[in-house]
Amino acid sequence: MSFQLLLAALVAGSVYALVALGLNLIYGTMRLLNVAHGEFVMIGAYVAYWGISLWSLSPLLAAPVAIVLTAGLGALIYYSIFRRAMRSPAFVERIEANSLLVFFGVSIILQNVTALVFTANLRGYRYDDELVSFGGASLPVNKIMVIVTAGLVCIASVIFFARSILGLAIKALIQQREAAALVGIPVARIDLISFCIGFGVAGFAGVLVSMTEQISPFMGFPFTITAFVVIIIGGLGNVLGSLLGGLLLGVLETFGVAFTGPSYRSIMIYGVFIGVLLLRPQGLFGPGRART
Amino acid sequence: MNRELGVSLGGVTLAAVAAATLPFIGNDYFVGIGFTLLTWIALTEAWMLISGMAGYVSLGHVAFVGIGAYVAALSWQVLPVWGILLTAGIAAGTLALLVGYPCLRVRGPYFVILTFGLSELLKFVVVNIESALVVSGRVLFGAPEIQNLFYMMLGLAWVSLSVALIVRRSRFGAGLRAIRENEEAAETIGIAASWFKLAAFALSAIVPGMVGALIAMRISYFEPLDFFSPRTSLLIVTMAVVGGSDKPLGPLLGVVFLVLLQELLWANLPQLYMIIVGVLLIGVVVWIPEGIFGGLQRLTARGTR
Repeated sequence: MSFQLLLAALVAGSVYALVALGLNLIYGTMRLLNVAHGEFVMIGAYVAYWGISLWSLSPLLAAPVAIVLTAGLGALIYYSIFRRAMRSPAFVERIEANSLLVFFGVSIILQNVTALVFTANLRGYRYDDELVSFGGASLPVNKIMVIVTAGLVCIASVIFFARSILGLAIKALIQQREAAALVGIPVARIDLISFCIGFGVAGFAGVLVSMTEQISPFMGFPFTITAFVVIIIGGLGNVLGSLLGGLLLGVLETFGVAFTGPSYRSIMIYGVFIGVLLLRPQGLFGPGRART
Repeated sequence: MNRELGVSLGGVTLAAVAAATLPFIGNDYFVGIGFTLLTWIALTEAWMLISGMAGYVSLGHVAFVGIGAYVAALSWQVLPVWGILLTAGIAAGTLALLVGYPCLRVRGPYFVILTFGLSELLKFVVVNIESALVVSGRVLFGAPEIQNLFYMMLGLAWVSLSVALIVRRSRFGAGLRAIRENEEAAETIGIAASWFKLAAFALSAIVPGMVGALIAMRISYFEPLDFFSPRTSLLIVTMAVVGGSDKPLGPLLGVVFLVLLQELLWANLPQLYMIIVGVLLIGVVVWIPEGIFGGLQRLTARGTR
């Protein structure tokens, strides 16, 4: 029973970790409140859906397409909006409210364009959903694939941020933007790359979500919320914290709902969220005091 | 009271008197649009107190609207209408005092996310209370006519705008602006920042609470998921920023612009309307970061030079 719950927690947690990782990159490097993040999950899910419905393309093969598409959209948004806006003092002065509104705009555009083109109906497909039993628990193949692929991406990103020069540059930018520019890190280029990676990972997470859940143009918002909860738990701008935070939230949610009941799910999640924000705003895993 | 403040207060009062003639010349449809316009004016001007003047951007103001509406639904036909409004305002103000003390210690993006989270938490608490009581939606029988509600909302919008104008000109408002520019420096010169913020937050909650009660009477129905919808909080921020500038007239323009656009497009092309709002939102924030009002001011300044 509890092993079964743990597996369910892993499925949820690994997707949360991926979505939150992307959000944290965009927040961390440029301090943008990206409320459109869930819409990129939605786009990834639609790519996988159309791939399998039209050309019976396996979702895992559709994933690169989804990543390129969402990363490309990210680059487009960066070039058309933020490259210019970040140079305007009036924009940067109120960056929270301004970035929130820009992304709110992006979010309603993406939702409604998708609804206009593909209708607002719920869609889904069956993909490898035969059960596999092991260790007293059973799980459909597609959920095992979610855990494995999401886990691989998480491990890859841990190595990327610890070892590669690009990963280190992104981390430097998150910690001290001005100092990073002073030591010769090309800030604008790293901003762009973080945008692409952040949205690409969201698109990839969307492919995984579509394998196990139904999709619709308005499915993104709950993912945005969950991702914000996760990066608060893990610490704003703390890349590894968001991975751990995602898993932790998956565990909390799954076990909490199992012990109390589904109607308390939202209260519990927001309760944790507010508790962490008030008591430890730098996140559970962050060192020292938060920059406010 | 200085002369400029007197002039603007007089102007607002004159405009309110002019608006009061609407029920005599327009049919229920126009009175309804007027009610919606006044609703958003009251909400955004109240929001400006904490978010425009003190720079603490609240993304949770729907919590006050929702609590006011809930009070109205609970005390309907128990209290008279004025008693409901009073209780709703007090409830919202008390809520702001309770959550404001811990919340206003965090700043910037943390405050934005925290207020959002709190309003969502409150929403689900109310949802759970209602389902524990086995109530699914409360109907308010025999609510006042739209004409009467219109006058009450007009009163709230007038109060909200006047308070914004008065606070802006007062020492209190100067203190809030100092907090927005640099909180440490403000404290150094002797501004009791935490009290100023708490007072502004509570003040900015009272009118939304009363607005919530009036909306509940207008719809004559209360359902927590509608009344605590995060969309309301986002729309308040949108209208204030699209209108722009920290002058009380800015948000007014944003409200008129967005509400009229909604009336024109919503009924026929809801998805297209949302797409246009999205494009406009991005356009205004990126190209005229000072908002429509600030942009107009810049244009007129250029014209007279």
